Amino acid sequence: MLTALAWKNIWRNKKRSLIVIVALAFGLWGGLFSGAVMIGMGESMVNLAIERNLSHIQIHKPFYTRDRDIKAYIPDGLEIVGAIKKIKYVRNVSGRTLIEGMAASPASTYGVQIIGINPAEAKNTTSISKQLISGSYDELSKKNRIIIGQKLAKRLNLKIRSKIVLSFEGIHESIVYNSCRVAGIYKTESAQFDGMHVFINRNDLFRALESKPIIHEIAIRLDKEKNIPQVLRILKKQYPRLSVQSWEEIAPEIAFLSDSMENFTYLFVAIILFALVFGITNTMLMSIIDRIREFGVLIAVGMKRMKIFIMIILETVFLSVTGGLSGILIAAVTIDYWSKAGIDLSIISASLESFGVSAMLYPELPLSMYFVLSIMIILAANIAALYPAVKAIHIKPAQAIRTY
Amino acid sequence: MALIEISNLTKIYNTTSVPVYAVQNVNFTIEKNEFTAIVGPSGSGKTTLLNMIGGLDDYTEGKIVVDGVDLSALKANQLVDFRLQKIGFVFQAYNLIPVFSAKENVEFIMLLQGVSKEEREGRAVKLLKQVGLEAKIDTRPSQLSGGEQQRVAVARALASKPSFVLADEPTANLDTASAESLLDLMEELNKKSGMTFIFSTHDPRVMKRARRIVTLVDGKIAKIEEAKA
Repeated sequence: MLTALAWKNIWRNKKRSLIVIVALAFGLWGGLFSGAVMIGMGESMVNLAIERNLSHIQIHKPFYTRDRDIKAYIPDGLEIVGAIKKIKYVRNVSGRTLIEGMAASPASTYGVQIIGINPAEAKNTTSISKQLISGSYDELSKKNRIIIGQKLAKRLNLKIRSKIVLSFEGIHESIVYNSCRVAGIYKTESAQFDGMHVFINRNDLFRALESKPIIHEIAIRLDKEKNIPQVLRILKKQYPRLSVQSWEEIAPEIAFLSDSMENFTYLFVAIILFALVFGITNTMLMSIIDRIREFGVLIAVGMKRMKIFIMIILETVFLSVTGGLSGILIAAVTIDYWSKAGIDLSIISASLESFGVSAMLYPELPLSMYFVLSIMIILAANIAALYPAVKAIHIKPAQAIRTY
Repeated sequence: MALIEISNLTKIYNTTSVPVYAVQNVNFTIEKNEFTAIVGPSGSGKTTLLNMIGGLDDYTEGKIVVDGVDLSALKANQLVDFRLQKIGFVFQAYNLIPVFSAKENVEFIMLLQGVSKEEREGRAVKLLKQVGLEAKIDTRPSQLSGGEQQRVAVARALASKPSFVLADEPTANLDTASAESLLDLMEELNKKSGMTFIFSTHDPRVMKRARRIVTLVDGKIAKIEEAKA
């Protein structure tokens, strides 16, 4: 009956209660939706990076990523690529020859990373082949063809079939020059990547280096991300002398940003709840002031102050949970809709490119967050109820009964 | 032993500077089955005295013993329990819980006492029948007249099976017919069930029916009269 009384008391002043409920609902919806957009952005950043060039796992010679020495290639790299293809959960593998060099055109010169690939093999480990805005990926099978990013093309004032000269230090420590024709121009979600990476058939590089085939990096794509730990264990055991790393180890800043989005969402919602707590406290205080005489009567007829305290806590919890759950429900529906339809942010695509995020965002919110947020709402409600409840139980019944 | 014994009761406001005596050196007793009115002009201390008897207000000096229990010996929670078990209240402004029906208002007291659902529902209906409101059991106070609300308040006061009922100006907000009807009810309950009623009132209709009248002036007992037979 105390619970029934608390619930009925909320609706004594419908307008006042509805204002609080609506404020809570929309506040939470805003926070959750923003959080879902941020988490979606983080996921987008990770997925695009994995598809673009990171892959799920990479193998290098130890310290290669620190020194980037052309001579630090993986011994028997091609054989290892072949062997890894047979491991369970491995979907695609590709061996890359990586060289730091310069790209020059009549207009300008720019520092680039030259990525030597087997075009057919690399097609399934990088998304570049699907992101050409002009030219043809298959042209890479021809001699001395190159695919460059749109940003680099603009910098060097290049178009399809333009001539570009690559210069880099060879294995024998001499400067090597290689003249290529632009076969394709790609555009990814990361303008920074587009400006600094060029793709070339690795056979052209071996010819230019006058070297046997050398592989600096093995990129591995798995069927599911959750299989990374297991495959990592297998590879580390199989190749103890090589550096086997997951994408999180290679690009910890991306992993950090992505993981942080969930924490930012909690923080965001906590701030919103903190602000709303004051509103709820104010509403409850007004409600108590309206009912001072009633509380006096309840104490007079024999209701213990602790029961009044609990009743007010219950009222506040009911009010907050009604608003909070409504907000969570609205958020769930809208997030679900837009997680499928996507939000077109092409109007700010230039800014998003600097983060490597797609202009088409798909917000998402993990299920566990809904549960945690429900707990946060109940906690916030209890905090909001404390002051009004304490105020109510300190009423002097004799004086309270006489108020109007 | 008297139901209520009041000895040398004094309540002083503002004890440090100029003291104001709300009640001064009051002595009297109330026996079971009494129908007593405490009367006096505004500010004479009637409501304060009633509140002190009901354990709602503290006092500066003296003693109040109710049903053998010295109220000053009780702690706050014990006082609440004591009121719940021993005292029924009827207020000037009815003070029913607006979100509850008439039946739920009466049941509420028994709920606080821990009475089972079946028993309290049965007793609530019986009490409302007794006060003539069997047709309005599920009606909310906002849909009842003043007189009807006060009847529900009387039923509520009786729900806990108290030793006595304190009624503070119960007829003040009622029209003549309702007031008479309410007083008829209370007199009947007093005569048939033996319930003790103590009123604080200005109302001559109450004074006319009271079998004992305690007159307060400036916080002191001016006179105690037994009603003529």
